[in-house]
Amino acid sequence: MVNRRDIGKIGLAAGFAATATRPAWAESAADVAVKAAQQYKGQTITIVWEAGLQSLDPTHFSGPKWKELTGMDVKVIEVATADMFTKIMQDYKSGAGAYDALNVIPAWMPDLAQAGALEVLDPYVEKYGYAAELQTIAPTYRDNQMKVDGKIYGFPDDGDVFLMYYRRDLFEDAAVQKAFKDKTGKDLAVPKTWAEFDVVGAGLTDVLKDKGIYGAAFFRQPPYTMFMFEERFRNEGGKFFDAASMKATINSDIGVRVFTDMRNENKFMPPGVEQWGFVENLAAFLQGQTAMTISWPPYGRWAEGYGTDQEALNWVPKTTIAGKVGYALPPGGHPELAAGFALSVASTSKNKDAAYLFIQWLNSEAISLERVKLPFTLRDPFRAAHYTDPGYLALWPNAKNYLAALKLASETGLLDLSLLQTDKYEEVLRQAISKLWAGDDPKAILDTAAGEWDAITQKIGVDKQKAVYTSWASKSGAYPKL
Amino acid sequence: MTATAHPDRNFKYWLVSPAIFLLLLIGLFPLAFSLVVSFMRITMLETDTSFAGLVNFTQLFKDSRLWGSLFHTALIIAIALPVELVLGLAMAYLFLDKMPGRQLFVSLLVLPTIISPIVAGATWRLLFDNRYGPINQILGWFAGHPVPALWTVNPNLVYPAIVFCEIWQWTPFMFLILLAALSNVDRSLTEAAEIDGARFWRSFRFIVLPAIWPVMAIAILIRGLDLFRIFDIIWALTEGGPGTMTETISIYTFVQGFRQFETSYTAAIAFLVIVLLTVIVTWAIRRMGLAK
Repeated sequence: MVNRRDIGKIGLAAGFAATATRPAWAESAADVAVKAAQQYKGQTITIVWEAGLQSLDPTHFSGPKWKELTGMDVKVIEVATADMFTKIMQDYKSGAGAYDALNVIPAWMPDLAQAGALEVLDPYVEKYGYAAELQTIAPTYRDNQMKVDGKIYGFPDDGDVFLMYYRRDLFEDAAVQKAFKDKTGKDLAVPKTWAEFDVVGAGLTDVLKDKGIYGAAFFRQPPYTMFMFEERFRNEGGKFFDAASMKATINSDIGVRVFTDMRNENKFMPPGVEQWGFVENLAAFLQGQTAMTISWPPYGRWAEGYGTDQEALNWVPKTTIAGKVGYALPPGGHPELAAGFALSVASTSKNKDAAYLFIQWLNSEAISLERVKLPFTLRDPFRAAHYTDPGYLALWPNAKNYLAALKLASETGLLDLSLLQTDKYEEVLRQAISKLWAGDDPKAILDTAAGEWDAITQKIGVDKQKAVYTSWASKSGAYPKL
Repeated sequence: MTATAHPDRNFKYWLVSPAIFLLLLIGLFPLAFSLVVSFMRITMLETDTSFAGLVNFTQLFKDSRLWGSLFHTALIIAIALPVELVLGLAMAYLFLDKMPGRQLFVSLLVLPTIISPIVAGATWRLLFDNRYGPINQILGWFAGHPVPALWTVNPNLVYPAIVFCEIWQWTPFMFLILLAALSNVDRSLTEAAEIDGARFWRSFRFIVLPAIWPVMAIAILIRGLDLFRIFDIIWALTEGGPGTMTETISIYTFVQGFRQFETSYTAAIAFLVIVLLTVIVTWAIRRMGLAK
C-alpha cells in the first residue's frame, strides 16, 4: 500500500518531471513563490481551512513543507464548512485581520468579492509570474471558479465533481444480467438517463435484495441532496430563474417531476436512506450493500482501498469492493461541480504578499499534484496534468478509468448556483428537500420555495441580482446544452 | 445639620458606583447597542447601514416563520415542562426515604444534566439513527420485524424524539430541586394528617405542596426559561427540520443572525423575545406568588 512518504516521493518525482520539461531559464511557479517567500522567514501566515480531513493537508503536508522551504510558519484555522463563510465575513467586518489566506467555496465568491473581503489577485499573479501555470488548470474550474467581474479573486484548488460509482462485477455478472432481463425485459446497462436509472435501480433491488444488495443509494441529507437536485434539475432541462423577470422557476413541471421522482426512488433504496449523509452512503457502498451511488471523488479512491490503511482514514470502512468498481458520469451526463474550494487572500491580511506566495505555491503545478494524491485530504484533481500523471495512473489498477471519468466530468460539469447571497437561496432548497422527505406535496413545497426565492431576490434588488445571474448563466458550466 | 455632620451620606453611593457602572456597562450597553442596531439596516452582506426606522419591527409581524418558531417553542414547553415536573416529583418522592444505594442512584440519575446539551443531542441522534442506532433495533425485537422509524425525518416522530431527549436530560434537575424541597417538609405534619385519616392526595395538596411551592415555582420558572431558549438538542437532532417544523425561536434567531446574516433584523427579534419574556416572567412571578 502506498504511504505518505511514497506519495511525497511520487510528488517530488512529478515535480522534477514537470520542471524538466521547462526551458532551463524558466522557474516554476512553486520555485518563484518559495524564493520570494524566503524574505518573510520567521513570520506566520494564518489560513482558514475546512475542518476535518481537508485540513490534514496544511497541518501534515504542505504547512511543514512550506516551513522547511521558506522558514515561515503556517497556522491553520479549522472551520466547519457551514461556518466558513460566517467566520470569513465576521473577520472582515470586524477588521481584525485574523486570517491571511482563505479557502473559499467558489459559489461564495461574488458575495465575498462584493463585500470586499477578498484581495484582487491579478497584480500578484503578474508580479510573481503565475499567469502561465494558471492556464493549465482544467478549463471548467479556471474559467468559472476564479474570477468575479473579470478579476481574479481565487485560485481553483479542488476538482470537486460528482461521479457515479457502480459495481462493475454485478453489471457484468451473467446471472444478474439474466435475472434483470427476466424482471424488467431490458438489458442491464449503466444508466445514462434518470429514466433508465429508475429502471435499473428498481430492477437491481428486485434481483439482489435477497443477497442484501440494493440497486442504489444516495446521500439524502438536505445539504448533499441540494447539489443533486441542482444537477438533476438542469440535466432535465430546468432553469432556476426566468432570465427576463428573475422570477424563480424551480417550481416548474420539471422541478416537480424531479422532486417526485427523487422521493419515489427512495422506495428501491435501503430503508431510512432519507437520513443518510456522506458517511452512511460511503459505508453501504464500500460494504457492498449498494450497486450504484453518486458522490464526490474520494469514494472512488477509498473503494479501491487507496490510503485507507492510514491512521487519518481509519474511520473509513474496509472496502469489500476493491477492483469491482466502475466509474461513469451520473445520469444526464452533466455532473454537479459540487462545492469545491478556491484559495484566496483576505483583504484584511497584514501580510498579503506572504499569504499570496503560500497559495501560489500550494496551487502550483508541482505542489498541487502532490496534494491531490494525498489520500486523506479530499483534494481532487483539477489540473490537466493531474488527470494524466503517471504516478496517479499507477495508484491502483483501475485508476486510469477513474481519472478519465473525472476529466470527462470536469469538462461537462455544472456549476453550483452562484448569486448574491447564494446561501439564502440554498437554505430554502435545503428546507424544501427536508419537507420532501417528510412527505409533503412536491408541487406545494416548490411553490413555497419559489415564493421564498422571489422574496429574497426582491430584497436584494431584482436588477442587481439579475446582473449577477446573467453573468453566472452565461458561463459554460451554468446550464447544459441539451 | 450640616453636610459635614453626615460624611457617609453620599460616600456609600461612591462606594457602590464602580460596581453599578460595571454592571451597566456589561449588561445594559450591549442591550442598548442592539436596540440601536435593530433600527438600522445592517446585514453582513451589504454596505448599507442606514437608519431604517421601524422597518425591522413591522417585518416581525409579517414573518410567519417567526411566529411558527414561537409556536414550536410554546409547544415544546407545554409538553416537556409538565412531564419533567411530574416525573421529577415522582422520583423525588421515590428517593425521599432512606434506602440502600440511595446516594449512588441519585448520583447516576443526575448524570444527564451534567452533559452538554449539544453532546446529548448528538448522542441521541446516533441512538435514533435508523442504520446504526440501537433504538430501532430494540423496537424491532419487540415488533418481530425491522422498524425503520426515521425519528429525525418523519413529521410524526420528530417532536416525540425531541421532547423525549429534553425530558431525559432535564427531569433529573427537577428531581434534585424537588428532593431538596421535600426533604425540608415537616414530617410531623404529614404524619398527623395521616393519623387523622387524610389520604395521600389531600396531604400532598394541603401540606406538602404549600411547603414546597416556593422552591417548585422557582424550578418551574428556571426550566420554563431554559425551554424557551432550547437550541442545542434540537439543532443536533433535526436542525429545526423537517423544513422548519421543529424550528424554535432560538434556532430561528441563530439562522437569521448567522446563516442569513440579517444583523438588524436579528436584533429586532431579540428585542421581541426580551419583551415577550419580560411580560411572561412578570406574569408568572405574580401568578406563582413569588413576588411576595
